[in-house]
Amino acid sequence: MSSERNKHGVTFADRALLVSLVLLTAYCFVFTKKAMPQGSEVKIEVSGTLLYTLPLSHDRTVTVQGPMGATIVEIHAGKVRVKASPCHNRICVHQGWIDSGAVVCLPNRVLVTITTPGRQGEFDGITG
Amino acid sequence: MKIVIYRALVLILLLCYSSCTHGGEKVFKKSRLAMDTVVTLTVVSSAEQDAEAAINKAFAEIDRLSKLLDHFSKDSEVTLINRSAGLKPVSVSKETFEVIGKALYVSEKTFGAFDITVGPLMDLWDFREESLPDSAVLKEKLSLVGYRGIILNAAKRTVLLKRKGMAIDLGGIAKGYIADKVVEVLKSNGIKAGIAAMAGDIKAFGRRPDGKPWRIGIKNPRPAGKENGDDIIAAVDLTDTAISTAGDYERYFIKNNVRYHHILDPKTGYPANECRSVSIITADGVYTDGFDNGIFVLGPKRGREVLGKLGLDGIIVDSAGNITFTDAMKGKLELREK
Amino acid sequence: MESQDRYRIALLSAYALALNGFETLIPSPIPWLKPGLANIVTLVTLHLYGFRAALTVTLIRTLLGSLFLGTFLGPAFFLSMGGGIAGTLAMGLITALFPRLFSPLGVSLIGAFFHNMGQLFLAYLLFIQRIEAVLVVMPILATTGILTGAVNGVAGRYLIEAIESREGMSPPSSGGDILHS
Repeated sequence: MSSERNKHGVTFADRALLVSLVLLTAYCFVFTKKAMPQGSEVKIEVSGTLLYTLPLSHDRTVTVQGPMGATIVEIHAGKVRVKASPCHNRICVHQGWIDSGAVVCLPNRVLVTITTPGRQGEFDGITG
Repeated sequence: MKIVIYRALVLILLLCYSSCTHGGEKVFKKSRLAMDTVVTLTVVSSAEQDAEAAINKAFAEIDRLSKLLDHFSKDSEVTLINRSAGLKPVSVSKETFEVIGKALYVSEKTFGAFDITVGPLMDLWDFREESLPDSAVLKEKLSLVGYRGIILNAAKRTVLLKRKGMAIDLGGIAKGYIADKVVEVLKSNGIKAGIAAMAGDIKAFGRRPDGKPWRIGIKNPRPAGKENGDDIIAAVDLTDTAISTAGDYERYFIKNNVRYHHILDPKTGYPANECRSVSIITADGVYTDGFDNGIFVLGPKRGREVLGKLGLDGIIVDSAGNITFTDAMKGKLELREK
Repeated sequence: MESQDRYRIALLSAYALALNGFETLIPSPIPWLKPGLANIVTLVTLHLYGFRAALTVTLIRTLLGSLFLGTFLGPAFFLSMGGGIAGTLAMGLITALFPRLFSPLGVSLIGAFFHNMGQLFLAYLLFIQRIEAVLVVMPILATTGILTGAVNGVAGRYLIEAIESREGMSPPSSGGDILHS
């Protein structure tokens, strides 16, 4: 009885195989996580500090405080804009809605950037 | 037998690992406010930590260089040079010396159309308050403009402005220079491909992970509607090249139907008006930055002559909106007309 | 002899089909990627009766299974066919090359691995050309592959031992009775 029971017992090769498969699987998890492009996000930075990272897909309004006062950032329908800002020229407000690139309010030190997955943005840079 | 198999397994796993990570090259982008504008660094790397480390080193270098070259800052070397105008030569770092030297080269080649000594003139214009300078004061200040008034001593590495009241402004060349330096920092930190974009002064090196060159768009000087954030008039494919654009739409105001913008003709003190935008393409950012202003001031005809003589490539949008470009750009440029 | 083998194959196929049907009752986020419990039968068949028998059982199971479930010639059919063949081939190959290296557990792990990879590969080729979908699914498949491979392997081992002790057979190392009769 006992000799038959161990005839098909777990061999060294079985163990080695199991270990390699587990390692391979673990590696697949890591690799997949890295290779996947991330969804579009909005990053809001004030004076160089990142305050918010928000998904473009979720409508919301955010107010940030800069040296000059409050800048209101609005996310709606997959786009983002600076709604109001205490700066003199309001260039940031006039830029309107963007779904790629960035809007910046230099006087109030506010930077709103969109991180797009590499494939979507056609241009890697804009000059002019 | 068992050991052989074990070793073979390890080998196979290692092979898989190495081939897998090579395919995992990604593009990382990071933007920050620096030098009074938005700086975006794009980096190709297979590991996020490597990309971040290189990017941080690059931003540190940008901070270091802008401290030397920024004439708005109270303790920059440029401010020191300006304060000692007509008094004594100022000892400077090799970077500042290098930038000024290259600026003088651009001045010579553009017959003075690009001139960093326009400091006194720039002070007279305020694009925020939308004020025009007094013409009498302007004429007076013109006498202080002239790149030949900059005396460089290579042996001692000093800079002297000959006359009191002279002032240099490196705004028209510093960003391109810094873009070059940033790329050097990225390369020495193991990055093989990427883009350093100091606002519109861009230097691209290497290629995208898919093997294609980097695609750079040139802004339309007169975009049509408010829906499109960036209207692009042309797309250029670049690898290991820099591009800069001088445009009359970056800082300006319109008064009495006349557009006053920040690219001044050093000979008149008023904005040059033969072009709407000029984009220059060549290997070094310091030259694309300096020459784009110079060619802008020279205008389309003389500008193209200079480009031809120097072997530089460029795209010129004249004051009527006509687009011309150097012959070498024919295959590499994709024009987009509405 | 032949009729007895045919009888065996038919019986085994029936068991495999039963397991297959049972499997469809299990809820899964990815409907057409099934763990392959019927592979226990394939495993046991391979071990006791050789490669040809195992392959036959797999083919019968896949074909009839899809007919019974109404998925004949549908995507699920091709995928389970492809996966089944891949898995059986791999198991047969390893058993032929290295008969005593792996126990049923190891053979089953190999079978499950190739079964899943075969399905994934076919799915990519025929249906979803987007590499992102493959990448997302791969770790999950690899995990279920290990799990079902292990479960099948253990179940298979005890089944084999039970059958052997009952019939008093010593298992052929490769080829099996079917090829020689």
